[in-house]
This record gives sequence, structure tokens and C-alpha cells, in this order.
Amino acid sequence: MLLSLKGIQKSFGGVKALRNGNLEVSEGEVHLLMGENGAGKSTLMKILAGMYHKDSGEILWRGHPVSFSRPSEAAANGIAMVHQESLLAPHLTVAENIYLGREPVTSFGWVSRRSMIEAATRLIADRGFQLDPNARVENLSPAGKQLVEICRAIAQGSSLLIFDEPTSSLSDFETCEVFRIVRQLRERNMGVIYITHRLEELRAIGDRVTVLRDGATVHSGNLDELSREQLIQHMVGRAVDTAYRREPVPPGEVLLRVEGLSRGMLRDISFEIRAGEIVGLAGLVGAGRTELCRVIFGLDAAEHGAFQVAGKKIVPKTPREAARAGTALIPEDRQHDGLALALPVSYNVTLPDLEHVSAWGVLKKSEETNLTTTYVERFRIKSSSPRQLAGKLSGGNQQKIVIAKWVARGARVFLFDEPTRGIDIGAKQEVFEQMDRIARSGAAILMVSSELPELIQVADRILVMRQGRLAGELPGRTTQEEIMRLAGFKSFPEDRAYESPSDSEKA
Amino acid sequence: MQAKIQRLLPFFTLALLFVALTIATPHFLTKVNLSSVARQTAVINMMALGMTPVIISGGIDISVGSILAIAGLFGAMAIKSGQPIPVALAIGIGTGFLCGTLNGLFITQLRISPFIVTLGTLGIYRGIALVVSKGLPVHEIPASFSYLGAGTLLGIPVSLWTLAACAILMHFVLENTKLGRYTFAIGSNESAAYYAGVPIKFHLTSVYAITGILTGLAGMIEASRLMTGQPTAGQGYELQAIAAVVIGGGSLRGGEGSVAGTLVGAFIIGLLSNGSDLLGVNPYWQQVIIGAVIIAAVGFDELRKRKLSTA
Repeated sequence: MLLSLKGIQKSFGGVKALRNGNLEVSEGEVHLLMGENGAGKSTLMKILAGMYHKDSGEILWRGHPVSFSRPSEAAANGIAMVHQESLLAPHLTVAENIYLGREPVTSFGWVSRRSMIEAATRLIADRGFQLDPNARVENLSPAGKQLVEICRAIAQGSSLLIFDEPTSSLSDFETCEVFRIVRQLRERNMGVIYITHRLEELRAIGDRVTVLRDGATVHSGNLDELSREQLIQHMVGRAVDTAYRREPVPPGEVLLRVEGLSRGMLRDISFEIRAGEIVGLAGLVGAGRTELCRVIFGLDAAEHGAFQVAGKKIVPKTPREAARAGTALIPEDRQHDGLALALPVSYNVTLPDLEHVSAWGVLKKSEETNLTTTYVERFRIKSSSPRQLAGKLSGGNQQKIVIAKWVARGARVFLFDEPTRGIDIGAKQEVFEQMDRIARSGAAILMVSSELPELIQVADRILVMRQGRLAGELPGRTTQEEIMRLAGFKSFPEDRAYESPSDSEKA
Repeated sequence: MQAKIQRLLPFFTLALLFVALTIATPHFLTKVNLSSVARQTAVINMMALGMTPVIISGGIDISVGSILAIAGLFGAMAIKSGQPIPVALAIGIGTGFLCGTLNGLFITQLRISPFIVTLGTLGIYRGIALVVSKGLPVHEIPASFSYLGAGTLLGIPVSLWTLAACAILMHFVLENTKLGRYTFAIGSNESAAYYAGVPIKFHLTSVYAITGILTGLAGMIEASRLMTGQPTAGQGYELQAIAAVVIGGGSLRGGEGSVAGTLVGAFIIGLLSNGSDLLGVNPYWQQVIIGAVIIAAVGFDELRKRKLSTA
């Protein structure tokens, strides 16, 4: 056994982040660490990597009890972490980053650039990676940056690598690349701990799995003995109906009409969405889905083409104009573009439509509070009061605020860009139900998602984009294979394990 | 609860300072001394008041010392040329408004960071004031002008009344108007505010214009207090104004700050320097003390936030 964590406990202030964290990893094993947001995955890994100190419990590393008080100590013992947000120095080269802090020196004590670059080149070639040691890190793709972190860990002589949601920002092609590398590490007998949210990835990569819930390990075992449903049940603590399918309503008038839209990579896009419809928008990362939403919402200006929102011609140049016409965007990066986290829930809910709760520029505070309370109740947002700070809420509740503020604004056309990213499985269901209610109340919805099973669950029909163009349209009850074929997805990960068995049964 | 106590820390500090000085020296709690503190601090306090919305919006304005000088100078010149005092006041305040608006336009239209823009205009406004006045102060102002900076109304300095009125107005604007709400939203998360349809450029420009207006008024108070229009007035005042906002809980990262906090911060600085004067502390040491208070205040605030974010 390479590593075993036993009964790890950790509290922050009065909050118990970890009650009973257990995990065992052997050499040459890819161990998946799963759990909902706040289950304690990151805390457990940060304790292992020496970033936090455990309150109690035992860490056995190669059979010996250890406790790392600094990340450098963990690194010296062969434990390294590949971070979600890259912790590289962007202005330095690949080679400089790989050897940062441990630069080879000449007998004068100067850094020897040449031997550093030689060592880096050897390391990269040895693993068969595609990486230029002289490239500046800021010019690399997200996958490239992860590769540099992996090289750094290998150069440190690590025998256990921790991946913290490595694929959340990667395209499908890059994801395959990361999988290939992880498999390679396993073949070289290293231990890998792999934190992920994406159920679709599991079987492509993992050997065993440990599930954390509410700070405690609730399941540990071989992956192939576990169905997708059982796994979700372990994570959520109850059975979740993943077979949800939206019942379509008869479509009404056309609310969004896009004709011959072009801008940058977007070429001649035409479609329309009617009241009551939820239309999915699928495609590979980089196919232009987010770009399309940005143009419709006025964040980028269209070069050619016209659109109509609720029957009125409009070419919005700012989000303000788009919002006035009745368009709403629920952005992909909720924390960066969707919410003012340090401000109260009520400020966030009324922000797009302050006119509604003010007269002559003066706010009517009681009306604002009433309005917020109404929407907090309608969307079942779990907040203690309208004055609670938005940043204190869970990802799912934050997403509900972003949706609620546009419903409060009276928007008719909703653009949802990856609406379930980073929220728990239980909360996803609620987001779907809210989308259904919005559509039923007579709005039109365009939903971008990289999670194909979700698109199939929720959308009435699915538009597929490929390299900036609409490649086609599919009915809602389609299959993942059909979408991927249209999207131009060529290579599946090896052993075709990209989807779980239960999905193929459904299909 | 504990967080609330810590947020009130600046208020407690001010109260403690007040009590301590009352006990330490009989000369502190006298009408003469307190009036003189109020007059001396009125200018900085007014500038700090103007600085508050800028800092809440996530920006900064280091040109206010120069705006104070150019506004006071133009106002004084207007009086000397025979304009009535209200017209001169309007000219001083209007100059501040123009300077602030210009700052805002540079920041929003050229997309240059507020620090850089106001670093530039700090030089530009000061330079214009020196060029126009040929470096010489404007003297021989009618005595009636001294009312604004040195007069009293109902036994209380006029400048204190003015400050109180402006503070109440500013508090109302920040807490109860769209403009104030947008200021918080932009400072807390500019991108999210833009996505929500907030007209960022217009509001940011307004915020800098408001700073300019209050700084212009501060310039007129300073001119009235000294009975001159000095092209070299207000050097270094910008740092004291920023310090007051920060001691009072404003965050240079934006999204946080309040009028009450700023006033408390400004009066803490004022009392520290008045107290050291009364107790005969070497004025050189005063700078050290105020510097240490800034670091201590912000340090406590950061500790409080870190505790909140890990809990």
C-alpha cells in the first residue's frame, strides 16, 4: 500500500469539514475521489499535500506514519498535486517552470540554463509529451499547462500525483490527452488520485473509487462493481431520479429568430426558438457555442445577420440593450460574470431591474426586500435572509439567484450557458425544473451544455454546432452517438468507456 | 456576532481615543480645541467623503490634492475679480466637477487604470494651477469669504455643518439610490454588473465627477480658511483621504466602504494629530503613529475577512 489515510478530521472555525476521511491508494492505481461540493475532497487532499494540518487521524505513507506541515515537505516525500487553477509562473518558460525552485546550478552558483533546458527536453521526450521546453507558459493551452505541472511533479521524483478536476476546463480532445497521460503514469507504477465531478469520465480512467459525503468516507471499492446509479446514491445520500425527462409543451410564437448571423468564427447561423421551447446547443469546446450566446446577448457585435427578439428587430451592442429587448444570459462562469458574491442576495436579485424598485433614482427598500423574498421562495433558494451575502450560498443556490434575477426582470429569451457546471447532482435537478417552469410560463430557452445526457434529458430539440456553423438539428430523444457524429467528434477514448453502461441501455 | 464587533472596531477606537485624550489632558475637551479640530479636519474629511464612492467602485483617485488646489485657486481668483461669493463657490465646485469628470472619462473611454489616470492628472491639474497663477498665491480676498472656513453657526463651525450635510447626502446616495447601488455592484464585480445591464461607463464617470465636486468644495473651504488661493495647496492630502476611507473599513479591492466608516477614520486621524500636539509629542512621530494605525486597521480587517471566509 502506497498511501493510507485513516479517520482524518479537520474543522475550520466551528465547521467540521472532515469527520472521518479514509482513503487507500496502491502503486500503479488510478483512484477516483468523488463527492459533491463541500463533501471534503479538496480538504482531504490539501491535508495530504501539506497545505492544511489535520486535527486528528493518521497518514501512512509507504507504511510509515507521516504528517506534512508544508507543501514542500510533501513534495520531498514524492506527493505532488496538479491544480485546478494552474499554479505556474506564466511569464517563465516551460523548462523554467519545471525546475522552478530547484534550478540546476553551475559551480559558481549560477543557474545553468543550458543544462536545465537539456534536462527538460529529455524529460519531455522520455514521456512522449508534445511540449516545447522554451515556450512561455502563458501561451500554452490549459492542457499544456497541466502537462507542465505533471512534468514538474515527475522531475521532483513524485510517486503519487493528485489531479484536482483536471478536465473541467479542457476540450474533449485535450481530455483524451490527459487520460492518455494518466494511463501512462499508471503503467509506470505511480499512484494517481483523481478528483472529478464528471460521471462520464469515470470508467475511461479509474480503477477504484472512494466517495466522500459530508466529510466522511461512505464508500470505497472497485469501480466496475458499481453502477452509475449506485455511485450517485453514495454521493447524494439518496436515490436520485436521473431518468428525468422534460415533457415538451406545444410551442407558441417565435421569440428568438436568428438569421444569417456571422461574427469571427461564427458563420451564417440561422435558427428560431418558440415560446415554451427548450432548445439544446451542442458541440465540441471551441465550436462557437459560447460565442453565439455572447453575440445574441450583445457582449460581442454581430458582423452580419439579423435577429428578432419577441418580434422586434434588434442588434444589441451592449448587454443593457439586449436585456431591454427581453434577453437574459446565465453565464458559464457564474462567480466571475453572474454574481456580486460580496453583496447581499437582494442586491443581486434586483440588479438587472433596479428601475422596478425605484422612483426618480431612489430605491424603495421595502419593495426590494419583498420582491427578493418572493423570488427566494419561488426558487427555493436556501438563504437565511435577503441580506445574506451571495458568496455564502452553495453553487446550486447561487445559480438559482442568477436565474431568478432575470425572471424578475421579465426576460422572454433565456440563454443558459453550461447551467449545471459546478453544482451538485441534487441541485441540477432543481435547475432543470426551474428551466421547465420558465419555458412553461411562455419563455424561450437556448441551453448550451457539454453534458450530452443532460441535453437529451431537458431539450425538446438539439442544435449541433461544428467549427462555427450549425451542423444540423436533432430531435430531443436522440442519442449521444448521434450528437457526437454531427459535432465531428472523431476519436473516442480507448475502450469506448466514455459513457456508462446505464446510458447505452437507455439509448 | 464577533464579526459585528470587529466591524465596529473603528468606532470603538474613536470613542476610546476620545475618552483617553479627555483624561490625559484638560485642554482636549474644550470648545476652543474641539472647534479647531473640526476646522482643521474639515478639508481632509470632505475629501475623504468624496473618495469613498471611488474606492467602493474599486477605483482610486490620487489627483484630489491637485483638484483641491486648482478649484480653490479658481474660486479665489473669481472672488478677487469681484464675483459674488456664491458665483465663486460655483466656479470652485464646477472646476472640481470638470476635473473629476475628466478623470472618469479617461478611465472609462481609454480603459486606463484609475491609478495611472489620476497619477497623470495629479501632475496636469497641479501644473495648470501653477501656470495660471504663475506660481503665486491669490491674496486680498474680501473678509466675508472667511465665513465658510472659519465662521460659526449656532456655535458650531460652518465647515462642520457643511461636512455633516454632505455626509448625510452621500450616505443617502450610497445606500438608497440606484447610483449608489451600481457603485457597490461595479466595485464588487464589474463583469457581473456589466452582464446585468448596468451602464458601467456612465456610472463610473459619475462617481469620479462626484469626487471632483466634493473635492472642489473642500478646495473652497481650504481657500476660505487660509484666505488665499494657493496653487501648491493640498499636496499629500490624497493619501490622508485614502487613509481615512481605509481605516473606516473601505476596501481598495472595491465593493466595501461607508460614509460613517470614512468619517470615523478621518476623525481618528484628526484626533491622533490633535492629541499628539496637545501632549507635546514630536510632530515627526505623528507620521509614524498614523502610519502604524493604517496598517493595524487594515490588518484587523483582513483577519476578520479571512476568518469569515474559512468558516
